[in-house]
Amino acid sequence: MSPKARENLTGYLFISPWLIGFFVFTLWPFLRSFYLSFCNYNIVQPPKFIGLANYQMMLFNDDLFYKSLWVTLRYAILAVPLTLVVGVALALLLNLNVKGIAVFRTIFYLPSIVPTVAMTSIFMWILNPQVGMVNRILTIFGITGPAWLSDPVWTPWTLIFMAVWAAGGSMVIYLAGLKDIPQYLYEAATLDGASAWRKMRVITLPMLSPVIFFNLVMSVIGTFQYFTQAFVISNGSGGPEDSTLFYALYMFKRCWKYMDMGYGSAMAWVLFLIVMVSTGLIFQTQKRWVHYGR
Amino acid sequence: MAVDNWGAQNAKIWLGKVKTLLVVVLLAGFAYPILTAKMKATPYEGRQKIKFWHRWGGEWEKVVFDIAKEFNESQTEYEVVPMFVTGTGSETKFILSATGGDPCDVMSIWNGGLAPLAAADLLTPLESLMTPEELKYFQTVPYPSVRESGQFKGKTYGITIGADLFGYYVNADHLREAGLDPDQPPKTFSELVAMGKKLEKRDPKGNLLRMGLNVASLQTHCYAYGPGFWDDKKKELRLNTPDMVEALTAMVEQRKSVGFQNAQRFWASQNTGSSTGAWPFIDGAVSITYDGQWRVEEIRKYKPNMDYRVWPIPPPEGGRPLPGSIGGNYMIIPVAAKNKKGAFEWLKFWSGLTQPNRAAKFENWGGWLPLSPDVAHSPTYEGYVKQNPRFQTFIDILDGPNCHAYPPVGYLAYLLDELQRAEDTALRGSKTPKQALDELDANIKKELKKRKEMGFDDSL
Repeated sequence: MSPKARENLTGYLFISPWLIGFFVFTLWPFLRSFYLSFCNYNIVQPPKFIGLANYQMMLFNDDLFYKSLWVTLRYAILAVPLTLVVGVALALLLNLNVKGIAVFRTIFYLPSIVPTVAMTSIFMWILNPQVGMVNRILTIFGITGPAWLSDPVWTPWTLIFMAVWAAGGSMVIYLAGLKDIPQYLYEAATLDGASAWRKMRVITLPMLSPVIFFNLVMSVIGTFQYFTQAFVISNGSGGPEDSTLFYALYMFKRCWKYMDMGYGSAMAWVLFLIVMVSTGLIFQTQKRWVHYGR
Repeated sequence: MAVDNWGAQNAKIWLGKVKTLLVVVLLAGFAYPILTAKMKATPYEGRQKIKFWHRWGGEWEKVVFDIAKEFNESQTEYEVVPMFVTGTGSETKFILSATGGDPCDVMSIWNGGLAPLAAADLLTPLESLMTPEELKYFQTVPYPSVRESGQFKGKTYGITIGADLFGYYVNADHLREAGLDPDQPPKTFSELVAMGKKLEKRDPKGNLLRMGLNVASLQTHCYAYGPGFWDDKKKELRLNTPDMVEALTAMVEQRKSVGFQNAQRFWASQNTGSSTGAWPFIDGAVSITYDGQWRVEEIRKYKPNMDYRVWPIPPPEGGRPLPGSIGGNYMIIPVAAKNKKGAFEWLKFWSGLTQPNRAAKFENWGGWLPLSPDVAHSPTYEGYVKQNPRFQTFIDILDGPNCHAYPPVGYLAYLLDELQRAEDTALRGSKTPKQALDELDANIKKELKKRKEMGFDDSL
C-alpha cells in the first residue's frame, strides 16, 4: 500500500464512527423514507408499493394537509420577522456598556434554555383565561382578556408571543456578531459626523447582515418543524378548530396515531421540498442585502 | 516579592489539588453504592417473569402494585413485573417494541387504541389462549358491550381489567340552593338544560362564575337519540343521520343559551383533567358535569362529605334511556410476546375470568367497572356499591340495553378525532350542527376511499 493510500485509509478509519452514523442513521432513513412515500406502510406489515397515491391524496383530497400548511406558513410569516427584529433590538440594547449588563444578558438569555415543554406549560397557566396572570392584569384596566389558548383567533398570536419571549437564543448570536464589528468603522463615522441612526443603518446592520442571514435561514427551517408547543397546548389534537395543527403535528398524527407511515413519509418529502425552496429563495436574495465586509 | 509570589503560586497549586481530591471523593461516594449494588433479590426467584406495561402513574400505580403483589403471592410459576409507561405515546412505544420483536408480554391500553393495533396484526387473538370452558364462559357471561370493546373482526384482542362509563355528577347542595330537588332527576334532556340554567352564576358583566351544566360529548350523547354513529348490523357509519343532527343540535342549543364564548372561556380556565380536589366539580366551579365513574373514588378521597348524585344522560322525548359508551383499560398480548401463557394467567387473574369475587376487589380499588355481571353482582362488588351508592348509576347503564362499544374499525383513531372536531366546531358556533356533521361525513368518506385505494383492509 502506497503511503498516500495508507494515509487516506488512516483518515477514513478515524472518521469511520461518524461515517457509519451518517450512513446508518441519516442517509439510509432519508432514502428509505423516499421509497416509503410511494408505499402503503403501517410499520408492521411490509410496505406495499402504491405509486403516487399518497401524493395524489395529499395534494388533491386532503383539506387538513392544506390547513396545516397554512397554519405553519402563517406562523412563519409572522413569527420569523418578529423574533428577528426583537433579537436584533435586544442585542443592540445589551451591547451597551452600562453597569450590570452581564446580568441583563443572562436574564434575556434565560428563556431560551428553559425546556420547551416546561415553558409551554407555564404559559398555559399564565394565559389561563380566568385565573391567569395576563388576564388578571388586563382586568385591572377594565379589559376582559380573551381565551388565549382556546380561542382559534388568539391561539396563533399566543404562539408567536411565546416565540418572541424566547428570542434570547438568537440574541446571543447577534450580540457575538455586534462584537465582531470593527470599532474603527464607528470612529470614522463619528469623525464624519454621522448620527447614531445613520451609524446603525450604514455600519451595524450591513455588518451584522451575515448573522441575520444565518438566523433567518435557521428560523425558517425551525418554523417548518414547529411541533412541541402545539402538541402540548392542544394535547396533540391541533385544536381549537385546527388553529394549532402545524404541519409537523399533522404529520406525526398521520404516522403514529393513524399508523400511516407511507403518507407521513410523503408529507415529510413535501416538507423537505418546501424547506429547500424557501431556503433557496432566501439564498437568492442574500446578494442584495448580505454584506461580508469585502 | 519573588518569595511571596512563589508562596501564592504554591498555595494555588495545593488548592487545586485539594479541589480535585474533593471532586474525586464525591464522585466515588456517589458511584460506590451504584457499582457495588447487586440486583435486589425478589421473593419470587426462579419464576418466569411477565413484563406488564400499564399507564397508571401516581396514586394509581400503587393499586397496580397491590394487584401484582396478590398475583405473585398466588403463583408458583410466574412473577408479574409491572412497569409504568406514560400515557402520551405509550401506543407508539408499544408499536416500536412489537415491531422490533421485543415487546412486553402484556399491556393495558385504552380500548380506543385497540382496533388499529389489531388491524396491523400486532395482537394475539385471545381465544387461542383460552380453554374450551373459558371460551364458553367468555362468549356468554361478560357484558356484551364490554366484551365487544376488545374485539375486532370477530376476534378478541383485549379483555378489560377496568372499564369506564360516564354519568352526570350533580352537586346536591347547589341544586337545593336553586330550589331544585336532587332526588328528582330530570326525565328529559330539556329538563336537565333548564336545571343547568337555574344553577348558573354570573358576575355583573355576565361572565360565568359557576357553570350550571357541562354537557356530555356527542360520542355518548348521541345514543340517547338513536343508534349512534355506527350501525352495528349494517357495519356502516351513520354520521349525519337525522338523530345525530338532533343530538348535536340539542348540545349546541344548550351551549348557545350559556353563550359560546363565555362557556369556552370558563371551561378552558378549569383544571378539568385534575384527579384531585382541583377537579371543577369538587371545587364547586360546575354544578352538573359529565365524567367517569372513577370520580366516585376520587370524591371519596378528596371530599368525603360532599353531597352529590350521579344521573344517566336523560333522553329527549321518546329517546333511548341509559345511554353509555364503553371506554377503559384493556389488556392486550402482543403477537411477539415471549410469555403469552403467563400473560394470560395475569389477565385472567385481574379481569375476573376466574374467581369473580377476587376480581371485584381489584375493580373496587381502582373504582372501575367489571368485565361481567358475575363480578358486578359478587358480594365484594355489591358491598362496595352499598358503601358508594352513587356507583349504582354506572352499573345500571352497564346492565341497560343502550350501552355501546366503539365501532370495531381500523381507522377508529381518525374517526374519533374527526367526530371530536365536528362537535367542537358546532359547539363554538362556527358551523351549524348539520354543516359540521355533513362535513364530517364527507371527510370520513374521502379518507375511507383513500384507504381503500391504498390497500388498507377496512372490511368487517
